[in-house]
Amino acid sequence: MESIELQQVLPRVFESERIPVSDIWLTSARFLREERYLVEAASGGGKSSMCAYIFGSRTDYSGRILFDGEDTRGFDMARWQEIRRRHLAYLPQELSLFPELTAWENVQLKNRLTRYASDRMIAEWFGQLGIDSRRDTPAGRMSVGQQQRVAIIRSICQPFDFILLDEPVSHLDEQNNRIAAELIAGEAYRQGAGIISTSVGNHILIDHTSRLKL
Amino acid sequence: MTPPAMDRLVARLLRKNTSKARIAGFILSNFIGLAIVLGGLQFFLDARTIWTSEDSFIRSDYLVINKKVTSANTLGAALPGFTTDETEDLRKQPWVRRMAEFTSNDYRVLVGVSSGGRGMSTYMFFESIPDDFVDVPRSQWLYRPGDSVVPVILSKDYLTLYNFGFASSAGLPQLSEGLMSSIPLSLTLTSEDGTRTRRFTGHVAGFSNRLNTILVPRLFMEETNADLGSGRPKAPSRLIIDTSSPGDVAITRYLESHGLEAAGDKSATSAAFMLRVVAGIILAIGTLITILSLFILMLSISLIMEKNRDKIHSLIMLGYDTGTIAGPYSSVVTTASLLAFALAATGVIILRTSYMAPLTGIGAQPAPLWIMPCVGTAMTTLIISLNIISVRKRIRKSFNNR
Repeated sequence: MESIELQQVLPRVFESERIPVSDIWLTSARFLREERYLVEAASGGGKSSMCAYIFGSRTDYSGRILFDGEDTRGFDMARWQEIRRRHLAYLPQELSLFPELTAWENVQLKNRLTRYASDRMIAEWFGQLGIDSRRDTPAGRMSVGQQQRVAIIRSICQPFDFILLDEPVSHLDEQNNRIAAELIAGEAYRQGAGIISTSVGNHILIDHTSRLKL
Repeated sequence: MTPPAMDRLVARLLRKNTSKARIAGFILSNFIGLAIVLGGLQFFLDARTIWTSEDSFIRSDYLVINKKVTSANTLGAALPGFTTDETEDLRKQPWVRRMAEFTSNDYRVLVGVSSGGRGMSTYMFFESIPDDFVDVPRSQWLYRPGDSVVPVILSKDYLTLYNFGFASSAGLPQLSEGLMSSIPLSLTLTSEDGTRTRRFTGHVAGFSNRLNTILVPRLFMEETNADLGSGRPKAPSRLIIDTSSPGDVAITRYLESHGLEAAGDKSATSAAFMLRVVAGIILAIGTLITILSLFILMLSISLIMEKNRDKIHSLIMLGYDTGTIAGPYSSVVTTASLLAFALAATGVIILRTSYMAPLTGIGAQPAPLWIMPCVGTAMTTLIISLNIISVRKRIRKSFNNR
C-alpha cells in the first residue's frame, strides 16, 4: 500500500455543526508511505474517529477513504483482515489489551497471527521499554503507562506499510517517549513504512516530516 | 494453519463466561430428545416386524371383504356374491384407492401331497386376484400358458390345520414352511361334468396369514376356467381393497352397515396402524425436544458471545479471521452435541437389550441397527452445522456493526 487518501471525509456527528478549518475534514488529505505525519487536534476534534475510519473499525463518516485509490467501503471482512495483518498497524488510544492475559500473551496473541517477530526480539523490546519484569503480569493489573508500552510492542509485531498511532505516549514520561519513538521509527524505517500519529499536545518524539491540524 | 498455542489463547479468552450449567442443560435436553427419537425409531423398526415380517405377500393396508354368512344366505334367500351396484358403491368410498374382485375356480380341484411314499389328497378350491395386488417378485409369481408348474400362495391356517390337526392324529410328519415350499403339490383339475381333466404341479411360493384361501396367478385361473369351466358367470364373493387409510373408523362403520366383514387378521392391521400412530407421536415429541435443545444451545452460545462481544471485536481488530474466532465456540458445540448423541445412542442400545427378548418372544425379528445411528448422526450434524452457522453469522455481524 503506497497511499491513504481522505476525500471530503467528515464524521456524521459533525455534519450539522460548523467546523473550524481543518487539514483533514471536508478536504482532500493524502498520506504517503515513507513519510511521518503528526495530526494535532484539540480534545474532541475527532482524531480517534479519523484513526478508526482509516483502520475500518468505524464507518460513521461521509466522504471516501481510499487505499491506493480504492474505496475501503467496498472491502469485505477477508480483505480487511489481510490489511490488518500485513499492511496497516494500529495503536488505538484505548489500547484494547486483554486484561486477563499477561503482557507477554497479549503480544503473542498478535505475533502468532502474523509470525513476524522472534521471541528474542520481543523480549528485547520488553527490556528496552523497561517492562521485562512485568512479562507474566496480567495486563489488567499493570499501570496505564505499562499497558501503553505493551500495546506499543504489540502494534509493531507485524509487517506494515503504515502505522496509525492514536496518542501513543499519552501516559509515558519523556524518557520512555523517546525509547518508544526510536522503536517505532526504527521499525517503520526498516519496513519503509509511513507513520501517522495523533496528539493533543504530548506528541511522540519522532522526527515528523509534516504536521496537520485537525 | 494457526498454531495450537494461539488457539488456546483465543479459546481462553472467548470461553470466558461460558456457563457450564447451560451447556449441561443443553446436553441433557439434547440427550433426552435424541434418546426419545432414536429409541422410538428403533422400537418401531423392531416391533413393526411382529405384524409385517410373516406376511409379505399382501400389504397390511389391503383389506379383504366378504358378505357376512347368515342363515338367509344358506337358505338361498340372498345372493352370496357382490352385485354390480354394491361394488360400484364401494368403489366410490373415499378410503378405497384400488379394488379388485376375487375370481374362483369353476371346476373341481384335487390337491395331492405325497411324502416318503405316503400321500394324501383332498378337494380344494382356487382363488385369484390381479397380480399387482400380490407382493411377490414377478419371477416367483409367473405362469405362462402351457406351463405345467403353477405357483400358489397358501393360507398359513391350512398349514396349522395340517400340522396340529391332521398330521398328529393321522401319524403323518409335521411340515415346516420351508419344507412345504419344496414339496410339489399334484393338482388335478376336473370339469363339473367330469369329462375333461388337466394335471399340474403346484409349487408353494409362500404362506399368508391374511388370506384364507389358495391363491393362484390370475392368468392360470382365466385359462383353466375357460378350458374346464361351465361358462356360467359367477358374482364375486370376495373383494380386495387397497385402502388409503387403514384403521379408519369410516371403513368399520361402512362394513357394519352393509353387512360386510373384513377377512384375515384384522387385529394386525389395526395394531400395525396403532404402532405407526404411536411411533409418529413419539418421534414428533422427541423431535420437538431436540429442536428445543437446539435453541437452548444457540441461546447459550449467543449469550456467551454477547458477553464476550468486546473481546471478539478486539480480536477482529487484531486481524483474526472468522474461523479462528468461531473455533472455540464450534468446538464447544461439537463436543456437547457429540456427547449428547453418544449418550443417547448408548441409552437406546441398552434399552433395546431389555425389550428385545420379550419382543422376539411375540414374534418380532430384530431390525438392522444401522438406521438409528444414521438418523442420529444426521440430526447431530444438523444441530452442529446450524450452531456453527449462527456463530459465524454473529462474528460477521460483529464485524459489520461498525
